[in-house]
Amino acid sequence: MSNSGRLRIIGRRLLQSIPVVVLSTFIVFGLLKLVPGDVAVTLAGDNASDQRIAEIRELYGLNQPFFLQYGSWLWKAAHGDLSNSLISNEAVLTSIQRCLPHTLLIVVLALLTAMLVGIPLGIAAATKPGSWIDGFVMAIASLGVAVPNFWLGMLLVAFFSLQLNWLPATGAVSLMKDPWASLSHAILPAVALASGGIAEVARQLRSSLVEILSSQQVRTLHAKGLPPSSILWRHGLKNVSVNLLTVVSLLANRMLAATVVVEAVFAIPGMGGLIVNGAMNRDFPVVQGVVFTMVLIVVTLNLLTDILYSVLDPRISS
Amino acid sequence: MTTIDLGKRVLRRRDILALMGGAAVTGALGLPAWAQDAKKGGVLKVAAPANPSSLDPATGGAGSDHSILWTMYDTLVEWDYETLKPKPGMAKWAFPDAKTMVLDIATGIKFHDGTPMDAEAVKFNLERNRTDQRSNVKPDLSSVEAVEVTGPLQVTLKLKNPDTALPAILSDRAGMMVSPTNIKALGNETDRKPVGAGPWKFVRWNDNEIIVVARHDQYWRQGRPYLDGIEFNIIPENATALRSVVAGQNDMAFQLPARLKPVIERAKNLETVTSPTLYCIQLYLNYARSPLDNIKVRQAINFALDRDAFVKAALNGLGEPARMTLPSSHWAFNKDVAGMYPNNPEKAKQLLAEAGYKDGLELTIGGYTDQDSVRRGEVIQDQLGKAGIRLKFTRGTIAEISAQFFATEKKFDLLVSAWTGRPDPSMTYALGFDKGAYYNAGRTADPELSKLIQESRVSEDLTKRAEVFAKIQKFTVENALSAPLAFQFELDALSAKVKGFKPNLLGKPKFGNISLG
Repeated sequence: MSNSGRLRIIGRRLLQSIPVVVLSTFIVFGLLKLVPGDVAVTLAGDNASDQRIAEIRELYGLNQPFFLQYGSWLWKAAHGDLSNSLISNEAVLTSIQRCLPHTLLIVVLALLTAMLVGIPLGIAAATKPGSWIDGFVMAIASLGVAVPNFWLGMLLVAFFSLQLNWLPATGAVSLMKDPWASLSHAILPAVALASGGIAEVARQLRSSLVEILSSQQVRTLHAKGLPPSSILWRHGLKNVSVNLLTVVSLLANRMLAATVVVEAVFAIPGMGGLIVNGAMNRDFPVVQGVVFTMVLIVVTLNLLTDILYSVLDPRISS
Repeated sequence: MTTIDLGKRVLRRRDILALMGGAAVTGALGLPAWAQDAKKGGVLKVAAPANPSSLDPATGGAGSDHSILWTMYDTLVEWDYETLKPKPGMAKWAFPDAKTMVLDIATGIKFHDGTPMDAEAVKFNLERNRTDQRSNVKPDLSSVEAVEVTGPLQVTLKLKNPDTALPAILSDRAGMMVSPTNIKALGNETDRKPVGAGPWKFVRWNDNEIIVVARHDQYWRQGRPYLDGIEFNIIPENATALRSVVAGQNDMAFQLPARLKPVIERAKNLETVTSPTLYCIQLYLNYARSPLDNIKVRQAINFALDRDAFVKAALNGLGEPARMTLPSSHWAFNKDVAGMYPNNPEKAKQLLAEAGYKDGLELTIGGYTDQDSVRRGEVIQDQLGKAGIRLKFTRGTIAEISAQFFATEKKFDLLVSAWTGRPDPSMTYALGFDKGAYYNAGRTADPELSKLIQESRVSEDLTKRAEVFAKIQKFTVENALSAPLAFQFELDALSAKVKGFKPNLLGKPKFGNISLG
C-alpha cells in the first residue's frame, strides 16, 4: 500500500473517531445524570439544607436542561477547554496532564513486561508441546489469569517494600523530574498489572504457534530440509505476528482500564483515581474529561494497530 | 468494655484508653510530651484520607477538609481538645447582653500576605460568610443581624436572637479568617489560592495527589509552629495509607478504620493512637411516614439493638456504645437517659405487637458499599432480625444513597450512616432533628423540640445550656428519633519520630503541637 493510501486511511479513521468520542461522552454524561446522587448535595457540604442545594443548582447551572448542559460542555471541549472540576475547581486539563503520564508509564511498562516475558514463554511452550516446559508455562499462565492484580500488588508490596525495603510502597514521581525514582515507583504496579497480560500473551502465542507449526506448510518446510530455528523465526512467528498484535492491542486497552484498581493499591495519583473520585461525587466535568481522553487514546491505539496490520501482512489493506 | 463511670472527664478518657488496652496517647497521659522537648524544624508527611472540597473555608463543604484547613487558617475561637468547650483563639468573646456579642482580637496577627488581621478583616470575613452567594456557612451565621467595627481590634455582632452557639460556630469554618486582600483580588476563584493567618501558608495543591504547606514566619503565637512544613499525600484507600506509613514514606496516617489496628500494632516503630470522638454511627429514621411514624416501632428498633455487641463485632471494640447523639465525655452529655434502651429483643417484639406487627415487619434500609459499612449493616441486620424486624438493604455510593434518603426521593425507611459531630451540640440538633432540616429525612419536628433547640442558644452559661441539652436529649431518645449505635474512636498510626500529637474529641486532627524528634 502506498504512503498516500495509508494517510487517507488515517484521515478517514480520525474522522470516524469524532462520532465515537461524541457518542461515548454523551452516554457517560447521560449515565451520570440518570443514576441517583447529585453533585449539588456534595457541593452544599455537611451543613446542607434544601434551600442551599437549590441555590447551588442555580449557581452552577445544574438546573439547566440536560442537552444544554451537555452541549455547553461539548462546545468548550471542542475549543480545547475541558472545564473545571465542580468540586475542587481545578482545571480538568491540568489534572489530566498531571495524572495521565503516571498511568501511561505503568501501562507501557506492564505491556513491555507482558511481551518480554510472555513471548519467550509462549515460544518455549509451543516448540515442545506436551513437554514439561509446556505444562509449566500453561500452569503459570492459568495462575496469572486467575490471580487478581490488586491482590498480587499487595503481596509484592508486603515482600519487596515492607520486608526487603527495595522499592517504594506507594506514590509516583514524574518521569521528567527524576527518571530513576519514577521507574522505581512504577516497577511494582507494572508487574502487578502485567501478570494477567503475561499469561494471555503466552497462551495465545502458544496456541496459534502450535497450529502453524503443525500445519502442512511447515511439514513441507521440514521436508525441504530447513533448520527448525529458521522455520520458527522466519515462517512460524511471522505468521502468528498478526494474532499477537491483536492480543497486545486488546491487552493495552484492558490495562488502561485495570489501572484503576492497581492505582488505588499503590496510591498512584493517576487517571483511575481521577475518574473514581469524579464518579463518586458526580463531578461530571472530571469524568467527562477522563472518558474523553481515554477514548482518544483507545482510538489512536486501534488506528496504530490497523496500520501495523497492513505492515505485517500486506494483504490487509483497507 | 461495658460501663465507664468515672467522675472527671480527662480521667474517663484515660480510662477508656486503659480499658481498651491500647497504646498510650502521648498527649493525654501525664505531662504533655510537647511541653518537654519540642524540637523546631522538619517536614511532616501525612497520609490524608480525602481530597479537600475546597481550600476556601466558606465555599467548601466536606468534613474531611478541616484538618487541612486548620494548618492555614486560625479560627477566632478554639476549643478544649478533650471536651470541645470553646476557648479564645485569635479573639476573646463576651456577651454584654443576650443580643450582642463582642469580639476582641489579639494584637499583632498578620495574614500570610502581610494584611493585618484586624477588626476590618474580621468584619469582611463575617459579612462574606453570611451573605456571599458562594458561602456554604450562611446558615451558621443566620442569627447575626449586623457586624460593626467598634475599635481597631474590636468587632461587635448585633444578633436577631440570642445565640450562644456562636463561639463554637466561630471555631468552625465560619471562624476561619481569610485575607480580605486575597479574596478581593481573586473574585470567584478563591478555592485554590488560600491565604489565611494560620501557622503554615499554602504552597501547592494537586488534586488527589498532594497538598504542601510551609511555615508562616510571622505567625502570631511565639515559638510556633514547630514544623517547617506539612506534606499531605492524599490516599483514599486506608490500607494503602497505612502501608505508606509502615514503609516510612509517610510519618502519619489518621482516621483509620478499627480493623487496621492489629496491622499498626504488628508494625515495628509505629505508635497507635486511639481516642474518643463525636463521630456517631447511627441509624437515621424517616419518621414522617408509616411505619416509622409509630413511636413503638422506633422504640422497638432501639430495644432490638445490642450496642455493646455492635462495638465488639463491627468496630473491633474500638468505640463507645452510643445511647444518644453525644458521647459520655461531652460537656452536655445527659447520663439520665443513657439507660433507656437496654438490649431487649423480647421487649422489642412486644412493642411491635402493640403497634400491630405481631409477626414482625419488613423495613427498607440504605447503606454504603465500602467494607466497613457492609460489616456494620450485617451486624444490624442480625440484631434487628432477632426482634422480627427484617431489613431489605440497598447499597451504593455515599452520594447516591444519602441523596436518595435525605433529598427529594425519600427512599428507604432507614439509613445506616454516621453523624460526624459539630463543635456545638445545638448545631447537631438543629441540622439533624429540627423542622425542615436536611438531615431530618422526614423534615417534620415536634414544636416542643424546635423550641428547645432555640432555647439551647439563649444562655451563655454552659451549665445552663447543658440543662437544656439534657431536655433535648431526653426528647430525642424517648421519642426514638434516631437509633445511635456507637461513637467511633479515632485511630491513627504515627511513626516513632512524631512527637506531641494530641487527638481531639472532634476526631479531626490538628497538627500545631507536633514536632519531629
